[in-house]
Amino acid sequence: MRFLKAWRDSDAFNLVLVVPAVGYLLAFSAFPLIYNVVMSFQQVDMFDVGTLIRPLRGFGNYVDVFARSEAGTVLWNTVLFVVMSIVFQLSIGFALALFFQLDFPGAKWLRGLFLAGWVMPALVVGAIWRWIFAGDFGVLNYALRSLHLIGGPVFWTSDPSIALWSIIIANVWLGIPFNMILLSVGLAGIPDDVYEAAALDGAGMIERFRSITLPLMAPTLGAVISLGVIFTLQQFDLVAALTQGGPAGASNIAQYWSWQMSFETYEISDGAVVATLMMTVVAAVALIYVRAIRHEQRA
Amino acid sequence: MKRYLFLVVALLLAALYLFPLYWMYATALRPGGDLFRYPPEIWPSHPHFEITRVFLTYAVGRYVWNSLVVASGTTLITMVLGTGAAYVLARSRHPMVSVTLFVILVLQVLPPSLMVTPIFVAFNQLGLLEWPRLAVVLATSAKTLPFYIILCRATFAQVPGELEQAALVDGNSRVGAFFHIMLPLARNGILVVSTLVFLQSFGEYVYSRSLIASTDLQTATVGLSTFLGANAQDWAGLMTYASIYVTPILVIFILLQRHIVSGLTAGALK
Repeated sequence: MRFLKAWRDSDAFNLVLVVPAVGYLLAFSAFPLIYNVVMSFQQVDMFDVGTLIRPLRGFGNYVDVFARSEAGTVLWNTVLFVVMSIVFQLSIGFALALFFQLDFPGAKWLRGLFLAGWVMPALVVGAIWRWIFAGDFGVLNYALRSLHLIGGPVFWTSDPSIALWSIIIANVWLGIPFNMILLSVGLAGIPDDVYEAAALDGAGMIERFRSITLPLMAPTLGAVISLGVIFTLQQFDLVAALTQGGPAGASNIAQYWSWQMSFETYEISDGAVVATLMMTVVAAVALIYVRAIRHEQRA
Repeated sequence: MKRYLFLVVALLLAALYLFPLYWMYATALRPGGDLFRYPPEIWPSHPHFEITRVFLTYAVGRYVWNSLVVASGTTLITMVLGTGAAYVLARSRHPMVSVTLFVILVLQVLPPSLMVTPIFVAFNQLGLLEWPRLAVVLATSAKTLPFYIILCRATFAQVPGELEQAALVDGNSRVGAFFHIMLPLARNGILVVSTLVFLQSFGEYVYSRSLIASTDLQTATVGLSTFLGANAQDWAGLMTYASIYVTPILVIFILLQRHIVSGLTAGALK
């Protein structure tokens, strides 16, 4: 009884611990989120930055942004960037997770080494890849030429038709460890006897993968894909280090475009429009993710 | 026998994956002229580390110091605000807990490159840009705090509730039980998660780039991106800069590798 009473009396202590953190997040995260939506309906440029009362533009900014000549390219690039990053991160990550599931000495430790990619600052990763991608003296072109896969040098970051792929490749490299580790956790959760039973029934390796691994991994795959979309939509540093959206906007993606409008050309309301639209997408994916992991916990 | 074959394949895969990190060090060890040679030298034949030149040309010391200031400030704010909140969210059965957790999870995913527009305008109006590094610390903490709370909550949830109840029955106050029982028992988890927060904010780029105008106060990532734009010929110098900057990160990573793996997986799927 005394214990129960202590818990009830201690609501004040709970509040003292929680309120500062929640208040901080409301002030520095939720408020900017709302402020961003407000600015997307106002006229905001370098002269209006200091005031709160700015001319209202309604949906005018939204119309302006979509009327820009680069809007179509950016939208398509963003879709391509997200889809291709996820497809390759997930398939390579899954393959590695399955491989490191095998029983051999040092499997866990070697698998952990891959996370070195995850702790690296993304901007430094972008810088290293830019040097690997270098046209005339880059090591990637050298390797591909030695294998006779390409004839002449490929200008990875300056050829408009390829530049986006240089960002995708670097982003896949960054995303592999995270995908692999989370999928490994999911794989470890599948009990061995399920496989043994299937093996006794005469199911081959591919049959076991298709009828046991994939269905049982579905919730984990869902969570990993939504996290992958969220992280990919956060990727900014690689663009800054590799192409700055160039050449001539050929490799620009929405999050970098939004930043460029706000901080390079000072069309802040247009930057806010793109940011608002993108955050709606991110929030929608996050809702799916949160519901998925809640569902899993209850099950 | 088959197990050793797998081991060899695993070593090859790890080497292939980690090649970019090797290439950073290998490039840093080559004298400038050797870089523009074809075919490139995979193994540097005259290893030579130009630390002094890079420190003088690129002011690495100043940039890394600014990154340290930002990362320390961010980690401090995150730990002070987040630890207690994580504890309550792990223990309390109040109906508001699930609502708060939901809000925290959603706030965690907001991309800094999009949040920086409203943050820049608001901080400008509040005059916070007068202290640019503080501005970066405040903005980055809003990003690391949800991550920290969610991972630390998992750590607190692992501490058996009986230990805390016993302390309360023995006459400890809630405050006493928190500081004398819970904090010491969750200490290792808290330290690992704090280290992750430190590493993240040490590599932060968007906020530093956008909120800090003065070169003297810029962080290491912004310095590197500036030199990438202006001086992308001196790759030996730039990779030396990068090596000086990330070697401490990689050392911490190797020391904590096992804990980082388990901490991460606990946070993302539970």
